[in-house]
Amino acid sequence: MQRNLFHVTPSGWAGLAFAAFAFLVIPAVAGQLWLSVFTSASCFALAAAGVAFMYARLGMVSLTQVGLMGVGGWVMLRLNHAFHLPFEINLVISGLVTMMCGWVLALPALRLRGLYLALVTLMAAGGLEIIFATFQFPNGGDGFWGVKTGSAAPFARPWLAQTPEAYLRYTVLVVILGFLLIEAHRRLAPGRAWALIRRSEAAAMAAGVNIVLYKTWAFGISGLLGGVAGGLLAGSLGLLDDATFRASESVMLFALAVVGGARYWLGVVIAATLFRVLPALLNNWGVDADISYVIFGAGLLHAVITAPNGIAGQIHDLFGKRRKAEAGEKGAGDD
Amino acid sequence: MKLKLALAAFAAACAFALSGPAQAQDKPSCGANTGQAASGEPIIVGGIHGNAAPGDFSAATDAAAAYFKCVNANGGIHGRPVDYRVENDQWNPELAAQAAAKLVNDTDSVALVGNGSFIEMAVNAATYAKADIMVMAAGCAISECFETSNIVSTNQGPLPSNVGAAQYAQEELGAKNIACIGLNIPNNGIWSCQAVIDFMESRGGTGSMALLNPGAPDVNSALLEAVSSGADTILINQPAGLALAILKAAEEQDLRDQFNWIAPTPLYDLSVPDAVGEYWHGHVYVNAELAPFQVNGPDAQNWIKVMDGFANPEDPRDTFAQAGYLSAKFFTETMLAMDPADVGDRAKVSEAIRNIKGLKSDLMCGPYYVGNADFHMPNHAGYMVKIVKGGYEIVRECYQYDSPYFEKIIALEKEMGVQ
Repeated sequence: MQRNLFHVTPSGWAGLAFAAFAFLVIPAVAGQLWLSVFTSASCFALAAAGVAFMYARLGMVSLTQVGLMGVGGWVMLRLNHAFHLPFEINLVISGLVTMMCGWVLALPALRLRGLYLALVTLMAAGGLEIIFATFQFPNGGDGFWGVKTGSAAPFARPWLAQTPEAYLRYTVLVVILGFLLIEAHRRLAPGRAWALIRRSEAAAMAAGVNIVLYKTWAFGISGLLGGVAGGLLAGSLGLLDDATFRASESVMLFALAVVGGARYWLGVVIAATLFRVLPALLNNWGVDADISYVIFGAGLLHAVITAPNGIAGQIHDLFGKRRKAEAGEKGAGDD
Repeated sequence: MKLKLALAAFAAACAFALSGPAQAQDKPSCGANTGQAASGEPIIVGGIHGNAAPGDFSAATDAAAAYFKCVNANGGIHGRPVDYRVENDQWNPELAAQAAAKLVNDTDSVALVGNGSFIEMAVNAATYAKADIMVMAAGCAISECFETSNIVSTNQGPLPSNVGAAQYAQEELGAKNIACIGLNIPNNGIWSCQAVIDFMESRGGTGSMALLNPGAPDVNSALLEAVSSGADTILINQPAGLALAILKAAEEQDLRDQFNWIAPTPLYDLSVPDAVGEYWHGHVYVNAELAPFQVNGPDAQNWIKVMDGFANPEDPRDTFAQAGYLSAKFFTETMLAMDPADVGDRAKVSEAIRNIKGLKSDLMCGPYYVGNADFHMPNHAGYMVKIVKGGYEIVRECYQYDSPYFEKIIALEKEMGVQ
């Protein structure tokens, strides 16, 4: 069991190498514009990891993830302005609150699947969108909503990450922890339970899997990751705006997770890159960033028609074929 | 035949008499005004606007860009052209932060000029202070624009303009209860509508606000909420596009004669009188943060010439365009007064901008100044105009607005000797 938990696959080594690159190299070489872009992309990578894990491991479509990011960001801002606690404590509480929101979302998932579940989660995202637009995000005011008239109060970034470079490193580190949390779950009892549930709920139940527990658990983890991502985004900007957390953004994030490849860490990275880095690149070139939507559409068509495991799946298959070919050649040579 | 020859000679004489001076007059006056194109090392100046649904706030950067083009064609700043780089925040906080990171931290820009946004000042105020760069904005719509150390604007923003419109309605139209239709943004619509309510209560009246969600503005609902509030006056505190939609909805319900209709400066745009239609002519009162077109002073005329000569024909000719022109002009004058060796040094340029004091223009009611303070609002007096067929009619000349909000600003002005 322990050996399986800590066994690093070739894909895992590649992921760790990429994580080291993102942590050490990117903040050191990126300009301020790209530090800002990569920080946003990292936040959305964490949120995308949650939605991708739900889809890949349980086959459940959640279209509320960006809305849950908004909840996490809301809690983070509210705590920052109200109690002046350390950033890390606020971040953990933000994640725990959205984890509970995830549990609430799991209630319909116990009865619904497929399209109907997607519709229910989309409606939840729509509800959150209306709440954010109506009550706005806390800016240092009093009362439950914490909204005051006029200028926003200052936001306290983590003590360890006061500069944009340090904050990107901080975000990347949290994202890595999020990925490791998912991977650890996949390798332990929940992962086996989810695999059974994905194949057949009836079979899982017959095998003694507590379906209610594990479905709720999955929604909770996804919510936790979304909330932490929202908290990190709030820390990056110091304030939030309802336009960032529209229901359409949740749909887009899910679609891009499918395009990237929901089963793989690389797919999540591709999704976040398409979601935040590509539009910034187009903006920087002076090209209308709305063109990215055309590219997203083409990517989705590609994924639906030819690449059910997304771009990352295709890359994975490519390396798999090479390894097989090399093994074949070696075997032939041995003969 | 003789008559034809005489007419032709008269026409030629008129053309000769008018052509020389008229051509000279048609040329705008910009910067050093040398008539020679600048060719030295460019001075980088940034600008950020917000252009996405629900409003386009690019008029100020368009006008500033036109003025800088004119400056570059007229000797530049000590022979160096201005490299004016503009980014669009698209009403998105992430993009606003990225725009500032690019223009302020990744670029050796000396200042930002002409900024107009609902978002970027709130996101970037701390960035500007940390980088010690001054922002001479022109389309400020949120409180951070007027309550932070490194941003100063030639436009007034919604709070003074709203209070100015409410003050006129209370004093001249007999308003006792004003419903303010604002955007549901704490540092914009709520901030400026609350100031109107406070003003009305200070005058023995009352007020209320009806808020629109900027992401999905339902103008009919907001209008009905304002109508049902018991108000006698409706203040349309919106960007021009949404304000026109509200007036259209009110026209469909034939509400014109049941209320006084007032608005802050976004409705002061040459295209608006035609856009609202005859139904509203003579019935909508608009606060103009800068001089109305018919005041026609030297700067007003020069602004039009700059726009006609260097801006795109479709760029708006509105208050924000005037403000963008003024910010660029004040910036250029300040740079020209500096030692040529210092104009590429951000710290020295910021210091020179903070030292601005008593610059005057016929477009502004009072002097323009900056000062070394944590808040800046040099423009807090304006005009009141009425929409009429083909344009606007001035109904009140320059007047100072009455609100406790301006007390600290006036105290600073007295301290600086500019009041």
